Amino acid sequence: MTLTRLALASLKSRWLTVGLTIFAVAMSVALYLGVEKLRTGARDSFTDTISGTDLIVGARSGSVQLLLYSVFRIGNATNNITWDSYRDIANRPEVSWAVPMSLGDSHRQFRVMGTTEAYFDRYKYRGDRSLEFAGGDRMNDLFDAVVGADVAAQLGYSVGDPIVVAHGLASFSEHADTPFRISGILAKTGTPVDRTVIVSLTAIEAIHVDWKSGAQKPGAPTSVDVIRSMNLQPKAITAIMLGAESRLKIFSLQRAINEYPQEPLLAVLPGVALQELWSIVGIAEVALIGVSAMVVVTALLGMAAMLLASLNARRREMAILRAIGAGPMTVVGLLLIEALLMAAVGAALGVGFLYLGLIVAQPILDARFGLFVPISGLSGREAATLIAVVCAAAAVSLLPAIRAYRISLADGMMVKM
Amino acid sequence: MKLAPIACLLLPLVPVAGVAEGTRTLEAHEHGSGTLNIAFEGNTIAMEIEAPGADIVGFEHAATTDEDRKSIEDAVSELARPMELFVLSADAGCSVVSASVEVHGDEEEEHHDDEHEHDAKDEHGDEDHNDHAEHEGEGIEHSEFHAEYELTCSDPAAVDKIEFAYFERFPNALELDVQIVSAKGAQAHEVERDEPVLDLRGMF
Repeated sequence: MTLTRLALASLKSRWLTVGLTIFAVAMSVALYLGVEKLRTGARDSFTDTISGTDLIVGARSGSVQLLLYSVFRIGNATNNITWDSYRDIANRPEVSWAVPMSLGDSHRQFRVMGTTEAYFDRYKYRGDRSLEFAGGDRMNDLFDAVVGADVAAQLGYSVGDPIVVAHGLASFSEHADTPFRISGILAKTGTPVDRTVIVSLTAIEAIHVDWKSGAQKPGAPTSVDVIRSMNLQPKAITAIMLGAESRLKIFSLQRAINEYPQEPLLAVLPGVALQELWSIVGIAEVALIGVSAMVVVTALLGMAAMLLASLNARRREMAILRAIGAGPMTVVGLLLIEALLMAAVGAALGVGFLYLGLIVAQPILDARFGLFVPISGLSGREAATLIAVVCAAAAVSLLPAIRAYRISLADGMMVKM
Repeated sequence: MKLAPIACLLLPLVPVAGVAEGTRTLEAHEHGSGTLNIAFEGNTIAMEIEAPGADIVGFEHAATTDEDRKSIEDAVSELARPMELFVLSADAGCSVVSASVEVHGDEEEEHHDDEHEHDAKDEHGDEDHNDHAEHEGEGIEHSEFHAEYELTCSDPAAVDKIEFAYFERFPNALELDVQIVSAKGAQAHEVERDEPVLDLRGMF
């Protein structure tokens, strides 16, 4: 008890250096915990990109590739799915709902997706959230388009604006003869939907009426009125989102699709494919954790250096302690208690900084990056980290502690002027 | 991967009846590795397991001797008792509603080419070598065990882990790729012989 009081008093007398050391520990702990929270938040946001869909179906390729092009709109499908196969699958008794998706066109740097109205009802993210409109409404005309939040923000669109969809992904040939009108703008979701232009499946057919093998047919373009009167049944789509009647049927449905004899198709469980993808992307996690752990170690080493450096200034203090009969363990103990106190206060402050930072940053992260970091209590892992920091502080302060004892012994023996 | 040497990959299996001319598909077939699918819905748990014959009985040729036939029969009856292979927490109060086991075997007859055979041999570990060598003239065979179960549980949320006694019973099985779907979504896990337990906390 006396020792703790002594330690406190000694720390207080050196409040500036001690304060800075505690601040360094606090910042490093806050950084480490912040990275940990961001990391789990990023992973959860990532796995929450799509939910409520039991299976995603595409041409037979890899599950990660299928997920990338169908959900993240990255890369391209190896093949399309014929409309007949889509009908076959959608009509299976195990299937409760099916949403076709047709990808491959673009608007500026954003992908255009053709789908049915059911997409707005069936696409769920972050648990059970549905797409919401920030303005306007779903497509109700052939040439209506709904744009994601990022599309609207970056290109400065508002409801009612005309847009032109380009053929292919990076082509100069624009479907200028069939302009679209923005019927609705979606609210920010933090998912790839933000960067997507959504049109109806028939609209995708409509813009390709005059396009054969990648080039516009010579002659006058088919007039919009003629296009409207045409049968715009798509012949192929890119991917299908499926919901099963019952979870118990998912696996047999998956197998049936994977073994579908008429066309090589692949059905994946989105959760499983996301997990597979994260195991590739997630390596960055390890790097982040490594860096922030190094920061904590640096702060602790700094504390040890500070203790060590202060020993010189505290020669007299130590000598007096020794003179009044403090044993070696007492001196070592005093230094250890000082280190533990600093680390504990630093850790506690760090947690304070973390939550302060989270409260400030949470809405910004969510709105800007679609990264939702929940403000939750410390996980067992995080609490264990804090305890480890305090223990590590004790360990690194052993060196100055032992040195303090040695010096105090030598100082005590020396006759000084 | 430590499994690479004994993996016997991508060998032909099951030409689908009726589409023999148009479609040729090969399913992946990896010795030592099976798949287990588990779906939770209400009080029902549906499971299905698919494992190569090499894992279950140690051979994949058609049963020719009484001994072979007996080991297949034994394996089938063991596979029909899922609760003993995949031990669920007792608190969940699960019981088997139905269990069915099938053995799919097939012999690649027509579309067999030499290149294929070499690939198969190269990828093979020594222990399987003889086994296949004696069939070289007649084509490579593969068999798969496929079992489906339906369980009902009084409290499925109490299933916090599954212990895989499966690996004790079938010493040739090395791993199972497990896919689980519950109300929380889908997850995949790899359960290996070294650590035959699957933690299911967080699935409910």
